[in-house]
Amino acid sequence: MNCILEGSGVKAFGKAIHALSRIGDELWLDPMVKALALRSVNSAHSAYACFLFSPLFFLHYSLGSASEQSSETIKCKLAMKSILPLFRCLTSIERNVERCQISIGTPDDRVMIQFFCRHGITKTHNLRFQESEALQAVFAPHLCPNVLKAPARLLGDMVMHFPVSQEEITLSMTSQRVSLKNYYEGGNDHMKTMCTEMSLHPDEFDYFQIGVESDITFCLKELRGLLSFAESHCLPVSVHFGAAGKPVCFSVDDIVLEATVVLATLSDSESRGSSQPTETLAPSTPKCADAAVLPVGWCDGSKAQDSPAVMEMIPSSQGSPITNLPALMLLRPETDDPNGRGVADEAFASATLSPASSMICSLLFRASQQDDDGRAARLPVLACYSDEEENLEVDNTRSPSL
Amino acid sequence: MPLSTQSQGDAEQYVLVASLDNARNLSNILKAITFKDHAIFSATPNGLKVTVEDSKCLQANAFIQAEIFQEFTIKDDSVGFQVNLTVLLDCLNIFGGSTVPGVSTALRMCYKGYGYPLTLFLEEGGVVTVCKINTQEPEEPVDFEFCSTNVTNKVILLSESLKEAFSELDMTSEVLQITMSPSQPYFRLSTFGNSGNAHYDYPKDSDMMELFRCTKTQTNRYKMSLLKPSTKALALSCKVSVRTDSRGFLSLQYLVRNDDGQICFVEYFCCPDEEVEEQ
Repeated sequence: MNCILEGSGVKAFGKAIHALSRIGDELWLDPMVKALALRSVNSAHSAYACFLFSPLFFLHYSLGSASEQSSETIKCKLAMKSILPLFRCLTSIERNVERCQISIGTPDDRVMIQFFCRHGITKTHNLRFQESEALQAVFAPHLCPNVLKAPARLLGDMVMHFPVSQEEITLSMTSQRVSLKNYYEGGNDHMKTMCTEMSLHPDEFDYFQIGVESDITFCLKELRGLLSFAESHCLPVSVHFGAAGKPVCFSVDDIVLEATVVLATLSDSESRGSSQPTETLAPSTPKCADAAVLPVGWCDGSKAQDSPAVMEMIPSSQGSPITNLPALMLLRPETDDPNGRGVADEAFASATLSPASSMICSLLFRASQQDDDGRAARLPVLACYSDEEENLEVDNTRSPSL
Repeated sequence: MPLSTQSQGDAEQYVLVASLDNARNLSNILKAITFKDHAIFSATPNGLKVTVEDSKCLQANAFIQAEIFQEFTIKDDSVGFQVNLTVLLDCLNIFGGSTVPGVSTALRMCYKGYGYPLTLFLEEGGVVTVCKINTQEPEEPVDFEFCSTNVTNKVILLSESLKEAFSELDMTSEVLQITMSPSQPYFRLSTFGNSGNAHYDYPKDSDMMELFRCTKTQTNRYKMSLLKPSTKALALSCKVSVRTDSRGFLSLQYLVRNDDGQICFVEYFCCPDEEVEEQ
C-alpha cells in the first residue's frame, strides 16, 4: 500500500491516531480497495474504534506495489507507542509538514512514514510492524432502537461538565429528554462524590429516535478522542444504542472519512437507577431494511441517503471479498444463532480490571438480545481478529444482509 | 555600584575580577553545558572559558569574551580552577531568577588564586549576597586535536530547523548517526530505536542551510547519551555549525546571543562511537 496525504489531511490523520490511542495500545492498519482502515481495540475488548479513510482523502492511494499482486496487500499492526510520537505535536505538523507519504510492504518489512516539511527537510520513519489479520468488530447500528444525532459541539459541551478523571457516565433516554450523569458504584459513599447530571430536550438534537427507554453506562474516557476528532472537523456525531448491556456506537462521517467507536455498556441488572427497558421495540422510521444491502448510516428518515459511493457494498474488481465494511457491521455470527447475535462467555468475566470496567467487560458478553437464551457459546468478542478466509464464508452464509 | 566600592580595598589581592550587570549573561550560557557537576574555568585576557567533560569522549566549552563583562581584570596570563558547576549556578540564581524587566542580578566574581575559594558578590534590589565556593586543582582538559585544516565536512544550519529534530529524537536509540555528503542525502541525522529507524534529511539548498561545504561522504555514529545534553545549547542558539574531521570526530559550535544581544559561543566535541566504513 502506498498513499500520499497533503497538508490538513496529515493533521486529520494524526488526530485519528490520537483518538485511537485512547482506545488501545496497538494500531491495526488495513488497506482495502475502498478505504484505508485504522482500528484499535482495548485489552478488555470492551472498546473498539475504526477510522476509515476513502481514497478521496488522499492525494494518491494505491494498494500493493509494482512488484506485488494487488490482492497481496499486507495487513499489519503497529505498537501505538511507535506511531503516536510521530503525530504527537499536531500544531507543529500543521505548521511544518507539507506532505506525508505512507507505505507498507517495502522490501525491508517496515511501514514507512515520510514527512516532507518546509525548507526542504524530509523526515523518514521506518516502523516495524507485525503482520496480522484485520481487526473487525461486528455491530449493527441500524438495528439499534435508539438513535441520536447532534453536532460534535453539543456532545462536547455535555461531556465537558464531567471531570477528566470520570471513568463512566450514564446516558439516559426517554421520549421527553436525554440526560447524562456520572456513574458511581457503591451506595454508601455517594455522599462523598460530586454528582453531575444534565438533561437536554429532544429538540436539541438533529435527529432523535427512541425505540426503548434506556439508561446506558459506558466509559467516557475512550469516547473523548472521537469527540475531539469530530469537533475539529465540525462533523455531527451519531449515537446508536439500545437497552443497557448492548453496545453503544458513536460515529461520524463525511465524504472522505468515517470514524466509529463502539463501547460496551453495563448491563441492566448491574447499573444503578436504570429503568427497565420496555419490551416493545418500536423503531420509528427504519428506512434501512434488514435484508437489503446497506449504504452507510443510520435510519435517518429526514433526508435522503447521500452516502458516498465508497461506502456502498460493491464487489471489488479483483473479486476480493466484501468484508470489513462498517456499513455491514453485523454482529459476529455465532454458532446457531440465526440473528447472528453474540452471547456470553463466562471466561471473560474473570478479566482482572477495575471493578466498573470489569463489569462492563463481563456484562457485555452476558448481554443477550431479545432472546433470553442464556446459553454459553464459544468465544464471542466485540472485536475479533478475523481470519479473512474463514470469516468470509461464515459471513456470507450467515449474515442476513448478504 | 555598591559592589565595587565594597571590595575596592581588596582589589589588589585578586588575580581575577569579572563583573556583570546581569548575571544571566553568564548563568544562561553555563546552563547549556551543565551535564556534569564539575567545570574547569580557564581565564585569559581574552575572556573566560568554562569546560565540562564526560568520560573523555565528550567535551563542552562555553566562551564568554572579556568584552561581554563590564569589568574584566586578570593579573596573570592564565588563571585556572575547578568548581562545582551546579553550586555555582545555584549561587548565580540565588535571588530566584525572576524575569521582571529592568530587574537583574549584578555579579562580581573574584578569585585570589590557587588555594582560595571563588568569591561571588551578588546584588539585586539593594540586597547583597556573598558566596564563597571551594575550588579544586583544575584538570587538564582533553585535547581533541580538532583543527580546522583537518575538517572534511562542514555545514552551518539555522538552529530552529534542528531544534524540532533534536526534541523528537528517538531516545531508545543508543546512537545518533550523522551522515554528511556532497551528494544525497547531504546532511542526515539517523536513529535506530526499538520501534524502527528514523532519518532527518536536510538538503544542501534548504534555506535553513546557511553554509554547505562537504568534500566527502562520511557516516559516523555517536552515543546518544553523550550528544543529548547538547540540546540545551541548541535551544539557546540561533545558528550551529557541524563539522567532522577525517577521524570522524564531531565539532558542534553554537552561536548564542545573550540578553543584551551580545554573541557568545558554546562548542561540543565528541568522539565517534565506532568505526563506520566510509563510503
